[in-house]
Amino acid sequence: MSVARLKSVPPPEAGDGPFYVAAAKIYPREIGGRFTRLRRAAVVVLLGLFYGVAWLEWDAHQAVLFDLPARKFHLFALTLWPQDFLYLALLLILAALSLFFFTALAGRLWCGYACPQTVWTELFVWIEQWTEGTRSRRMKLDRGPWTAEKVLRKSLKQVLWVALAAWTGFTFVGYFTPIRSLGGDLAHLSLGPWSSFWIVLYGLATYGNAGFLREQVCKYMCPYARFQSAMFDKDTLVISYDPARGEPRGPRRRGTPARAAGLGDCIDCTLCVQVCPTGIDIRKGLQYECIACGACIDACDDVMDKMASPRGLIRYTTEHAVQGEATHLVRPRMLVYGALLAAGSVALVYSLFTRVPLILDVIRDRNSLYREVRGDRIENAYSLKVINLDDRPHSYSLVASGMRGLELAAPLAPITVPAGSVSNIPARLDVAAPQAGGVHSISLTLTALDAPGIRVRETSRFVGPAP
Amino acid sequence: MATSASPEPARRIRAIDFALVLWPSFLAACAASVLFFAAVDPAMLRDAGPHLFAGLDREAGYALGFLFFWGVGALASTVSIYLIRTERGGGRADPPGAA
Repeated sequence: MSVARLKSVPPPEAGDGPFYVAAAKIYPREIGGRFTRLRRAAVVVLLGLFYGVAWLEWDAHQAVLFDLPARKFHLFALTLWPQDFLYLALLLILAALSLFFFTALAGRLWCGYACPQTVWTELFVWIEQWTEGTRSRRMKLDRGPWTAEKVLRKSLKQVLWVALAAWTGFTFVGYFTPIRSLGGDLAHLSLGPWSSFWIVLYGLATYGNAGFLREQVCKYMCPYARFQSAMFDKDTLVISYDPARGEPRGPRRRGTPARAAGLGDCIDCTLCVQVCPTGIDIRKGLQYECIACGACIDACDDVMDKMASPRGLIRYTTEHAVQGEATHLVRPRMLVYGALLAAGSVALVYSLFTRVPLILDVIRDRNSLYREVRGDRIENAYSLKVINLDDRPHSYSLVASGMRGLELAAPLAPITVPAGSVSNIPARLDVAAPQAGGVHSISLTLTALDAPGIRVRETSRFVGPAP
Repeated sequence: MATSASPEPARRIRAIDFALVLWPSFLAACAASVLFFAAVDPAMLRDAGPHLFAGLDREAGYALGFLFFWGVGALASTVSIYLIRTERGGGRADPPGAA
């Protein structure tokens, strides 16, 4: 992908709506300050977790591994199976509820600090700043001719970007295929076709999203950016410019009190616009492009310090606070989101702690309704599917109940299933003919011999001759 | 139908269209793959499914399944965009009578 295409080109058909690739390139200015430090910390922690956790081991297996080839999910001591899909669904619901809760509380925290798009873009921009220099140097470099220095700087950036993207793709696939064996395959250039395919796909996605598209993902592709306003109210923390204090804006000398010059505190230095990763002017009010990263706050605080004016011309605040009214932390929206979140969390923790690592499926034999055996007894046949979800083998006893005189004809020996395996067992039940007439509801109970807590009960039907 | 040499602006394929087609269908394909493969083991399709799936290993099953869902989603997105773009009035969401 050529860098030249990234350059700021006037849209060929101006007025025809926003153009995707042809949209003016944004050169975010480098910035320091409270919120920038916070975001940097978030980048280091989140990406550190992403790149690092894949290499953790736990009990001779990878600590976090969604082992698709084996259809097992390892989460430290916990091993989940596709049958445990409920937990994944519950976890996703909780994630959505947390997003609602924190959005209502503090606006787009997710966008500014935790979204992979923000986090990886930050990393790619660091590389860009390291190889191509500050904002003004980058703009000059892009405008200038293709000198040896430009070629060198741009090539270095591309090499680092591609390497980072490839490492990201590799790590990502390492959460689905054991990363150590994947690394060995990579070192011996013997990667399987599908592993290679996924590494390249996710590498390309990382490069494209964090290096090439950046803020355009937030502006044009992100559904959350469009509907997050539904969770906002007048008490939600947003980044806002204080027009009452700032206007009328205009340049003034350091030390000149703003009011004496007939001006507001804003000196119209446009630094808040230059640092914005999405290229908006926060002074025009809250816009859906704002990802609430706080870069403009850091920039403006710096300027206010230099002008000896109080900080906070641009600040985290609420619509109520800007209007001079009280901000309410506790409000119905927060209570509803909070209650749902708490209930979901309790349900998840409870169900994980009471999870029985055993599944029994009972399927009635469809070939015959019943069969007469030993002259005076009626027999039904079943097919049992016993899934041992535990990390060690178990032997189970099977007990049938629900009808007077119901007896288990097979299996008579305990059922032994290896760790993490499925056994299909034929079973037969019989009952004396006089008791067998009609359709009966019965139940089968499977209990681990070495752990009575591991017990499941399944219901089925017993069919006899019509009475 | 446009009779002029250059197509109407609304019908021109723009770079953003690729993102609008590929991105929502990618998200939908992720969700569909998780739901589908939680219930269906690709190895089961190979062992018990129609002859079409013979020789399919799990990794290939997951990948082809995902690409299939992505393709179906992309097709739906393409048709949606086409219908919006070719609507009379350029698909603007103007309320009736707001002309």
